[in-house]
Amino acid sequence: MANNSLRAHVKVNWNMFILLKLELEKLFRAKSFYLSLTVLAAFVALMLWGFYTYAARKTGGKAVEQFKYTYESKQYFNGLTFALYSVLFSFTLLLPIFVSMSAGSQIASEARSGTLRMICTRPISRASLILSKFLVSAFHAGLLLTFFIVLNLVVGLIFVGWGNLELYPGPLNLVDAPGKIMRDEALMRFAYAALSGTWALLVIVSLALLCSVVFDSPAQAVVMTIAVYLALYIVGRVEFFDQLRPYFFTTDMDFWRDVFKPDIPWQSLWHYACVCGAYTIGLLLTTLFIFERKDIVT
Amino acid sequence: MWLKVVLLVLFCLMIVGAVHFAEPREPEQRSSSAEDIHSLRLLTWNIGYAELEDDTRAHDKDLPAVAELILRQEPDAVALQELTGNAQLKVLLGLLNGKYRGAVAQQGNGDRFEAVLVKDIEAKFIPIAAGGRYALGASFQPGSDKHEILLLSAHADAFNAAQRRIYTEALIDWAQSRAQSSEVFIAGDFNFELKAANQTNLYTDNVKHDSESYSHILRYFRDLGRTAGDTAINDRRIDYIFGPAKLKQTGRVEVLRDAAVGRMDHWPLLVEVEL
Repeated sequence: MANNSLRAHVKVNWNMFILLKLELEKLFRAKSFYLSLTVLAAFVALMLWGFYTYAARKTGGKAVEQFKYTYESKQYFNGLTFALYSVLFSFTLLLPIFVSMSAGSQIASEARSGTLRMICTRPISRASLILSKFLVSAFHAGLLLTFFIVLNLVVGLIFVGWGNLELYPGPLNLVDAPGKIMRDEALMRFAYAALSGTWALLVIVSLALLCSVVFDSPAQAVVMTIAVYLALYIVGRVEFFDQLRPYFFTTDMDFWRDVFKPDIPWQSLWHYACVCGAYTIGLLLTTLFIFERKDIVT
Repeated sequence: MWLKVVLLVLFCLMIVGAVHFAEPREPEQRSSSAEDIHSLRLLTWNIGYAELEDDTRAHDKDLPAVAELILRQEPDAVALQELTGNAQLKVLLGLLNGKYRGAVAQQGNGDRFEAVLVKDIEAKFIPIAAGGRYALGASFQPGSDKHEILLLSAHADAFNAAQRRIYTEALIDWAQSRAQSSEVFIAGDFNFELKAANQTNLYTDNVKHDSESYSHILRYFRDLGRTAGDTAINDRRIDYIFGPAKLKQTGRVEVLRDAAVGRMDHWPLLVEVEL
């Protein structure tokens, strides 16, 4: 009896492993995966151009004539500052789009191409299928963010140069008094950001997966995910809806940036990480319940 | 089934974690109040009206309320902004029963004036030209204290962040030149918009200019009202009292939110420090 149970358990794990392997192969074969990496690389190039021209304008020429003092010395414009601006700007809009594209097409594209029915006839549970799709999408989100951070740091090092990470109140809304993070510590903070950012993006992954189960068209699933994300993000920025802002998951997702504060507010960071975790798992459970009861007719 | 159970447990753990790590909710209007020390008590207040009014400068009918607050709080010196001129100052000094001396700044391009009121009858008033505008300084000695205090009443441009930056740079230069001989305090409405969360853009030149201005001041001075919260309507902290970085101790720091009358859009900021 115990042997049978063990054998069944091993079989489930082995099936899960095979599923993950297959999903990963699909991910690496997909053109959209390489497209997302290319667009992110292009965004880094755009940021580099913008950062260079901005730094030149703000540390010389008219700026020097108009203002006597500036913190924006050449030392301020270093590779770490460049990477910070680039990562913060892109995280809000660019990364959620690619993450939605990847996760939103997971089930819906199988349904559209007619392979979902075939997969579901195999001796694997629907829950395992959803979990493997989720894990691969989560891996994709983490990979994209890590790739983007590393690329920014490398480009920043080569083209802008190293220095400490200086932070000022106002832009980026990270600190309320000038602060500084030393270079090595700042690099560690970027590593933290890869983790906290991926965790925040998992909310989008779960939402996209839910849409992917609800809608049979991948385009519909992706658009719906992005629409919900953007709607909440934009509404959250409009002062009319100030009272609603704390209830949007987009507000909670912002916690990932806290790792760039000179003193990381750990308690708040764990709080929002748990809130995002609850959103992620809650949406994943909803997806499971819907998918297990779904009549696959395509 | 096991997967759903695991996810359900994880979901519950996340909820418990979120509750466990939740920080106690901060009061709607923050105000910090430490122990009462009274070496020097300073107050700054823009007594003008909100932008939508016909005349956004201080209104004569509000002066009794302004005087009443000053008499109640008994600051050693007061920095006021947006007075209509000398006549209004005289009315206010009359309402203060001769307990304060005061002066208004020189008129610049605008129609409103900064003023300083000081308890010390020996106080000297100093006009300051800064970045195309005028501020006003008052040099005095509070009580029997031997310290020479210099309080500047400042009001930076409300609509142009670059102008605010130019004004701030000039003001700080002037203050720095006096910092050797006096304890310099700068009080007033700087209109810095440093809450990027209130901006629709991710990054703007205006935020950058205000950030530069504020950071420049903090190179030499301490933001004494930092813990007191917003000083104007629409969740804005735009009124400041900056003091010497080496100050021994800060006492009461408070935004007096019940003080505004009429259509005033600012509240007074009160700071006590030990020299």
